[in-house]
Amino acid sequence: MDSMEHGRVIDSNPFVDIATHLFLEDLASKVGVAGLNNYLISLANNLAASMPEEEYETWDEFLDALKNGHSILSSFEDVHAVTKHCVVTRRSPFERGWREYAKRVGAFSKVHREVAEYYNAKAKSTAVNSLHIILHTFRSAASKRIQVGGKPLRYEQIGTVWVDGERNVVGDDRLPGMMKRAGISKTRLGMLLRNNADVWVLTAE
Amino acid sequence: MLDVALVSLIEDLIDKAGADGVIEFWQRVGENLANRIGKEAYMGWTSFNVAVREGRTAYSIEGDVTPLTDMAIADVDGDVVGYIYAMKQCCYFPTAMRVRYTVGRLSGADLAVAREYNENFHNIAWCNFCVFHERFREEVAMNIAVAGNPLECLLLATRGFDGETRISSKNLAKININHEHIRALLRNYECVYALLMRGARLKEE
Repeated sequence: MDSMEHGRVIDSNPFVDIATHLFLEDLASKVGVAGLNNYLISLANNLAASMPEEEYETWDEFLDALKNGHSILSSFEDVHAVTKHCVVTRRSPFERGWREYAKRVGAFSKVHREVAEYYNAKAKSTAVNSLHIILHTFRSAASKRIQVGGKPLRYEQIGTVWVDGERNVVGDDRLPGMMKRAGISKTRLGMLLRNNADVWVLTAE
Repeated sequence: MLDVALVSLIEDLIDKAGADGVIEFWQRVGENLANRIGKEAYMGWTSFNVAVREGRTAYSIEGDVTPLTDMAIADVDGDVVGYIYAMKQCCYFPTAMRVRYTVGRLSGADLAVAREYNENFHNIAWCNFCVFHERFREEVAMNIAVAGNPLECLLLATRGFDGETRISSKNLAKININHEHIRALLRNYECVYALLMRGARLKEE
């Protein structure tokens, strides 16, 4: 897909994304996987903190804002709500950058996967590579800046599928509870993971 | 979102390493990227310029580049040893707009890096990405051979989205091209550079 990563926001130039990937690889060679993980987390938290807080009267009002790209949670992604609480991202916001990287530079550096494994072990998340650390941490931090009916939003990641089809789903110990909160069955989850990049849950705490 | 996150990354890096540290970091990343793309060879300027138009050279990673074949650079014998190339849109412009419509405003850190670069390296940058960009192009040029000769890249002029232009007097002097010619190009293009055969004996003014 060469056109839009997002229907509402101007496309980035993938060159900037590639430069950032290399920037992170350079950083990893100095601070290691743990250092890069910490850096990516602080990067995503800083980004969320730099964006304005939001408040909505009702859940429906919030869902409208989310679907229309007016919420900070849908600023960078093409987001769809499949139930009241289950949200999917159709295409990874990193797809264009990764494809350009693969085309121009070559295979993705293994450090992107190594740091994801480190992050998953710490945060019990479903990152496939370094970019998901930014995305998941950003969503978590951004959701805390949103109030719906006076209650803060809670974000949970159910599953992630990378551009090449590699997927990572939350462990069996947490999956049933998350699916219940999302209002989806295991079969429905399988369907969603087939043609989306991310499946996540949003609830008001 | 990686490009927008990059802006907060730069802020954080300035805190840790200072603007000069960010410049060193970016320059190293520019070198790494150019070297990972690898070497290219072309039979002559015609085949190189066709490759540029078709987006097949290492420079194509930046976006659409126009070879200005009416602006040849000649050596002392009158032989063509290079051309001027231009980009209609700066690679960083989409990111600047994406930051504007997600975070609200472009970070002052971006300008701080450009200012440091302009004062201490080359007075040509309007954003922090120009730092990466200039070094990347210089390194790529060394990896491209036209008719057996490695190239040299000279960044000539830039125009920021606020309309401010910067023209490199030292590089223009090297290729004996008038300021006014470049100023005219800046009405249509945001980034102008020259590619010429390394070590060519150029006409003196």
